[in-house]
Amino acid sequence: MTAPALAAGPARRTSTVFVATAFVAAGVAALMGGMLAMWLQFRANAPTRVASDGVSLIKDWLKKDVAIPEVAATTMMFTFVIACVMAQWAVYSARRGDKSHTTLALAVTLFTALAIMNAQVALWMQIDIVLRNDAYETMFYTVTGTMFAVVASAMVYSLVAMFRVLAGRTGDHDVLAGHALYWYAVSGMFATMWFIVYVQK
Amino acid sequence: MTATPAQSVTGSTPGSSRSLGAIARWLTLADHVRIGMSLVGGAALWLAIATVLGAVLGVERFDSAAALVDAGAHIQLFSMHQFALVFGVAAPLMLGVAIWSVPSQLHASNLSLPRLAAFGWWSWLVGSVIVFVSYLGNGGPGGGAERYVEMYLLGLGLVIVGLVAPAVSLATTVLTRRNGQPLASISLGSFSALVGAVGIVLTLPVALGTTVYLWVDYVNARVAFGGADLLSSWLGWALREPQSLLYVVPALGVLGDAAVRTAKSRQPLRGVMLTGVGIAATVVLSSVTQQAHVFAVGTSPSETLQSFVPFALFNLVPLLAPVVVILLSLLALRAGKPALSGAFVASFLGVGMIFTGLVGSAAMHLDALNLVGTVFGEATLVYVVYGAVLSAMGAIALHAGTVTGKALPDVPVTLLSLLGVLATVLASLPHYVAGFLDQPAASAMGFDDSGVVGVTNIATAAGHVLMLLVLVAFLGLFGSSRRADTVTDRYRVEASA
Repeated sequence: MTAPALAAGPARRTSTVFVATAFVAAGVAALMGGMLAMWLQFRANAPTRVASDGVSLIKDWLKKDVAIPEVAATTMMFTFVIACVMAQWAVYSARRGDKSHTTLALAVTLFTALAIMNAQVALWMQIDIVLRNDAYETMFYTVTGTMFAVVASAMVYSLVAMFRVLAGRTGDHDVLAGHALYWYAVSGMFATMWFIVYVQK
Repeated sequence: MTATPAQSVTGSTPGSSRSLGAIARWLTLADHVRIGMSLVGGAALWLAIATVLGAVLGVERFDSAAALVDAGAHIQLFSMHQFALVFGVAAPLMLGVAIWSVPSQLHASNLSLPRLAAFGWWSWLVGSVIVFVSYLGNGGPGGGAERYVEMYLLGLGLVIVGLVAPAVSLATTVLTRRNGQPLASISLGSFSALVGAVGIVLTLPVALGTTVYLWVDYVNARVAFGGADLLSSWLGWALREPQSLLYVVPALGVLGDAAVRTAKSRQPLRGVMLTGVGIAATVVLSSVTQQAHVFAVGTSPSETLQSFVPFALFNLVPLLAPVVVILLSLLALRAGKPALSGAFVASFLGVGMIFTGLVGSAAMHLDALNLVGTVFGEATLVYVVYGAVLSAMGAIALHAGTVTGKALPDVPVTLLSLLGVLATVLASLPHYVAGFLDQPAASAMGFDDSGVVGVTNIATAAGHVLMLLVLVAFLGLFGSSRRADTVTDRYRVEASA
């Protein structure tokens, strides 16, 4: 007598892309973290100068005639929040099988990324410093340029996720969850950079 | 893609078509066997370069007054030797072996994201070729040709990306393709591959960020990082101990697996073994501090303690990883049917050499011994990297039967391992001695080469040449085993009903 075959269990949810995204995000965080740590080290080792109050001594890191365009920087920071909400909305909609809202959410994420990159270019144009004078300028353009590339990579992720949804692969929850995770990670990195480079200066 | 039976070619396909087909398959490779073997093959090429460089440097330092190579190229030769050992051999070799064998250990058909791993292989290959060419054109650290220094930094960036990408693929494979096995139950080889891969993912991007800074600064003002002469001081932490332990962590798993599969036993104190391998992950912190932590006795107990804590964290704690694995692998051997095998001998000696290198590194960071800045540091790196080469030989012997269907014969592997250990000791130990005699690091001139120092340098040259011969012989053995009759695979684990 043969035992009846067991019924197939529920299909295992694959999480390959999500896990890989988590590793990539960790790697990118290490990249930005390392660069910001070097920024802090250089700032700590900078010589001192008398502050504008004529009494206290401050680090001669950011030259006194250079003004950080704080409006553009802070606008970028808040735009990241919108991108995260949109990326999470895509996950929410996909779980409910709502293709049109998933597509819309991803499209808005994509355009939000474009807006962030546009704001970064505007900031570079407003800050009016060149790359060749001192360590601050070299490191400012390097760290913000690397962040720009990281945002561009997140934008490519949004584009790929959107094309997959448009092609009918609405069941790719793993990809959309990974996409949202990446945006959260990139936002966290930008928040750290924003505080160190644009707020603390 | 594992355990593929030999496929018979039916019909008469012209030889040129077959060759073109093979090239096309290699160019578009997306399976773990080809990607892993490509990385191992690339690392073997770099090992040949490293051994030749080591031999040339040994002969060059035999007589510090005579110059075999132009004195202006010495800095580049030393730097290229270091690059070859770490980013040319240790990291890609261990990653390649892990990619080649881990899916079969997990009973998975392939890697997760195999094209990402393939991208990593191509990126590493292109980057390492660029680095090689840049050295030939007077680039690299201390280089005088601007274009080639820029090229070096570009190549280094590509090499780092090329190591991180397969590491992501490997770590994802271990976490998502375990076929329902708990993480604590997977083979030690897979677990150590996971630890090593995560370590690479978390530390090498930090080196990439530094490389980007260096490149931007070098191309523009050169006001922040000091130009080509100081490249090594900014990136040196990624090319020495304890960071090098992260690249060779998979060697620990190879030893653990070789012991239980040789003795046909279960691993006693498996939890302790996993913890031992996990201890190696503490090295990740080295990318945070990026400096050597020397222990010096202070004028007060608190000052001494302040110096001892970071020294212990970065130099003594990582030592526990190979110690635990070596002791517990011997226990596993005793628990089953005690026997020796080629895979066990190679991996045991390999981890032993890695341990010797790490002990040397810890000793070097004792201020009282005054070894920093001597050739002692070069010897510790050679111990670790050549130890990894021996472990890779053990891994290939251990998994060849499962992955390729053709096991390696035991006796030649054992003999080559013994020769390999002789080569490693010859290439390293004399420099431990020369370090105590104050022979300076990264210098071929301006020191007293009389007596023992001269002998130690020529002995290291002989050791590197012997390692080259071991490499050629092992490649020959692996190639001939593919064509020879099938040998019984003594390491095969039969699936339980």
